[in-house]
Amino acid sequence: MTTASSSSSLHTVDTDSVVTLNDVKVHYPVKEGALQRVTGHVKAVDGVDLSIARGKTLGLVGESGCGKTTLGRVISGLVAPTGGDIWMDLSAQQQLDVNRLRGVNEAEMTAQDRQMWKDLTLNSRLGSMSREKQRQYRRNCQVVFQDAFSSLNPRQLVRDIVGRPLRVHEQTSGAELDKKVIELLERVGLGAEHLLRFPHQFSGGQRQRISIARALALNPEFVILDEPTSALDVSVQAQILNLLVDLQAEMGLTYLFITHDLGVVQHMADHIAVMYLGQIVEYGPTDQVFDSPLHPYSRVLRDSNPSLEGERNRDWELSGTVPNPIEPPHGCRLHPRCPVAAAGCGWSVSDVMSRTEENSPVIFETIKTVDRSDDYNAQINFENEGDAQGFVSQLNGSVINESMHRPPEVRGASVKVSFNEVSDASLEQIQDGRWSSCIRTQERGTLPDLNKSQQVNGKEGQ
Amino acid sequence: MTTGPGSKKTAQSPTPKKSAVTVKWARRLEVGREVLRNPLTVIGLTIIFLFLMMAVFAPLLAEPNQPDPYQSPRDWSNIDSPPGVAGHVLGTDSTGGDVLYGIIWGSRLSLQLSVTVVLFTLVFGTMVGSIAAMRGGRIDNLLMRIVDVFLSIPELIFALAIAAVLGPSFSNIILALAAVFWVKYARIIRGEIIKVKQADYVAAARVVGDSSWNIYRKDVLPNAATPLIVQATLDMGNVVLIGATLSFIGLAQAGLTEWGALVSAGQSGLLAGEWWVSTFAGLAIVLWALAFNLVGDGLRDVLDPKTEGR
Repeated sequence: MTTASSSSSLHTVDTDSVVTLNDVKVHYPVKEGALQRVTGHVKAVDGVDLSIARGKTLGLVGESGCGKTTLGRVISGLVAPTGGDIWMDLSAQQQLDVNRLRGVNEAEMTAQDRQMWKDLTLNSRLGSMSREKQRQYRRNCQVVFQDAFSSLNPRQLVRDIVGRPLRVHEQTSGAELDKKVIELLERVGLGAEHLLRFPHQFSGGQRQRISIARALALNPEFVILDEPTSALDVSVQAQILNLLVDLQAEMGLTYLFITHDLGVVQHMADHIAVMYLGQIVEYGPTDQVFDSPLHPYSRVLRDSNPSLEGERNRDWELSGTVPNPIEPPHGCRLHPRCPVAAAGCGWSVSDVMSRTEENSPVIFETIKTVDRSDDYNAQINFENEGDAQGFVSQLNGSVINESMHRPPEVRGASVKVSFNEVSDASLEQIQDGRWSSCIRTQERGTLPDLNKSQQVNGKEGQ
Repeated sequence: MTTGPGSKKTAQSPTPKKSAVTVKWARRLEVGREVLRNPLTVIGLTIIFLFLMMAVFAPLLAEPNQPDPYQSPRDWSNIDSPPGVAGHVLGTDSTGGDVLYGIIWGSRLSLQLSVTVVLFTLVFGTMVGSIAAMRGGRIDNLLMRIVDVFLSIPELIFALAIAAVLGPSFSNIILALAAVFWVKYARIIRGEIIKVKQADYVAAARVVGDSSWNIYRKDVLPNAATPLIVQATLDMGNVVLIGATLSFIGLAQAGLTEWGALVSAGQSGLLAGEWWVSTFAGLAIVLWALAFNLVGDGLRDVLDPKTEGR
C-alpha cells in the first residue's frame, strides 16, 4: 500500500482522539536455514489506520490470528511497529492535518506546513516526542489482558501487584500505598481483606478485577481491553462487563475493546472496527455495522454469532481457512473465501492452485509443474493434453475464469492462465462515517447480494 | 502452585493486622511443610543434618592432628589394622592413618567443596543464562555457543583435564569442578526465563513502565528460579561424587582426609582382604550423594510438579 492511498483511507473522528494510527505495520521476519536468511515476513498487522475517540469505546473484532491482539500491543507500546506512525491526543483538526501532511513529501511542503509537521511530530508522535511525553502516554494507556491467570505474578501479593504502578510512577509506599490500593480494590468490587493474598487464592473473575484495578491505578484516560472476558464463565463475564461500563461512566475512560465475540462488543462499543488478516476491512458505528454490514466478512461474523432469537440466516459463510499471512491474497484479502467474490476481487495464480487442490484433488494430482512469470501469469504443465483439458473444464463457469485476462489456453499438455492485475483493496468511505474495504461494496455503495449461482440450495429471500 | 490446607486457612481467616512479610513467610512455611510430607526427603534431610553436625563438631569428635588437621594422625605400630583394634573404631590404612578420623574431617572438606562449587556455579551460571535470555539476539547466540562447547565435553573428563593441568591440590579440584558445573545452570535459567518472559504479567509490568532490572528481579527471576534450586540441591551430591573421583585418581594432596583419596588409599589393600578403608570412605560418599538426591527429588516434586517422575 502506498503512502498516497493510505492517507486517503485514514478515517478520522470528529472529536479528540486519544490515539491515532497511520498505516501501522508489524511485520515479523521469517528466517530459514543455518544462515538465518530472511525469506519472508509474517504480516501480523499490515497498514492499519484508526482513530480512537476520547471517552468512547471502539470494538476491534476479528477471528484469532487476524492481528487484533498484536495491534493492541502496538498501541500499548509492548510491540514496536515496523512501519507507520502512532499519534497521541490529536484534536479533530490535527487528525486532518496529519492525514493531509503524511501524503506530502517533506521537500514539497510549504514553510508553514513544515513547521506544523515538526510541531506535530515533536509533540504527539510516539518515538519522536519527548521522553516526558512518552512517559505520560505510558501512564495514560493501560492494558487489561485476556488471561487473568497469567497476567498476575503468582509470587506477588495483591498489594504489590495493584500498587506497582503507584510505586513506579508516584513513589508511593507504606501505609499510603495500602490506602490507595484498598481504594482501588473497592472500586472494582473487592476489599481490604484481599490486600495480602496471592493471585492463586482468587477465582477467575476476581483475578480479572485485580487486573482492572491495576490498570486503573494511575488514573489513565485510555484502557486497552484485550479479550478481558473470553477466559471467564458466562455469568462472570456479565459482571465484569457491567463493572467496565460503570467504570467508564465514572472515570470518563476511553476503551479499545479487543474481542472475537460480537455479542459482547455490540453492547459495549460505540464504534466497531472489523479486522481480517492484518487489515481493517470495515469501520463504522456499532448499530449500523450490525444492521447493515458493508463488508462480506462483517456480515459473516454477524450471522455466525449464535442468537437466542430464532434461526439466523446461515447462507453467508466463508469457505476454506485463513490464508497464509506471509503471502496474503492480492486485491481484497477475503476474496478466496468470500461468498460474494467477483471477477475484480484480485484473483491470481495462487488462487487457481489452491481452488483446484481443494475442489478437484484428482485433477490437482495431474499437475506436473507450474512456471510462474509473475503472480498473475503462469503456464501450468500436465502429463498429457487430456489432463490439461480436464483442468480447464473444471474452471469453466467459475468466478476465476471470469477474472482472467483471456480464457485459459490449452497448448499441448500445458495451460496458460493470465489474470487482470488488481490493486490492493483499501478502506474507503461508503456512507457518512462508514468505511469498507470491499471492492464490490465500493462500486455499488451497498453490500452485494449473495451470488445465487454459488449457492447449493438458495434459500435466500424467503 | 500447591494449595495445601494451610493456604485455605489463610484465605478464610484474614486477620487485618497481618503484615505482608508474615504472609510471605507463612506461604514459605507451607511449602516447607509440603516438602516434609515425603518420608524419603526427611531421611535425606536427616542424613545431611548428621553430616553437618559431624563437620561442625569435628574437633570434638576427633582431636585435630597438628599441624594440619586434614592429615590423619599416623599410628605406625598399627598398620592395616581391622576395625576395633587398638582404639581405631573403623581400622587404619596402610600408613597407619585412622579411617574414622579421615571420614570425620573429610566431611568438612566435602561440605566445603559442595558449598563453594555450587554457590559459585549457581551465581555465575545464573548470571550468564540471565544475560543471554534477557538480551537475546547476538549476545544470546554467542553465550550459548560457549555453553555448548563446555557441554560437549564430558564433565568428568573436562574436570580431570583442568585439574591435571593446574596440578594436584584440593583447591584446584574446586576450580575444576566450578569450571564444569556452571554451564548447566546457564542452560536451565535461560530456558526458564525465555518461558517466563512470555507471561502476561511481564507484559503488564512493562505497560506499567517498570525498569527492566525491576522486571527481572520481581517477575522473571522468582518465577524462573525453581528448577535452579532443585538442580543446586542435586549438585551438592554430584560435586562430591566427581570431586572424589578426581582425588581417587590422585589429583588431591597425598594423605588428605578427603573421602575420595581415602577410597584410593584403601584400594591396594582390597585384594588382601583389607576391605574397611575403601568401604567406609565409599559409604560416606554414597550416603552424602544419596541424601542430597533424595532431598532434591523431594523438592522437585513439590516446587515443580509438572516434571514429576522425569
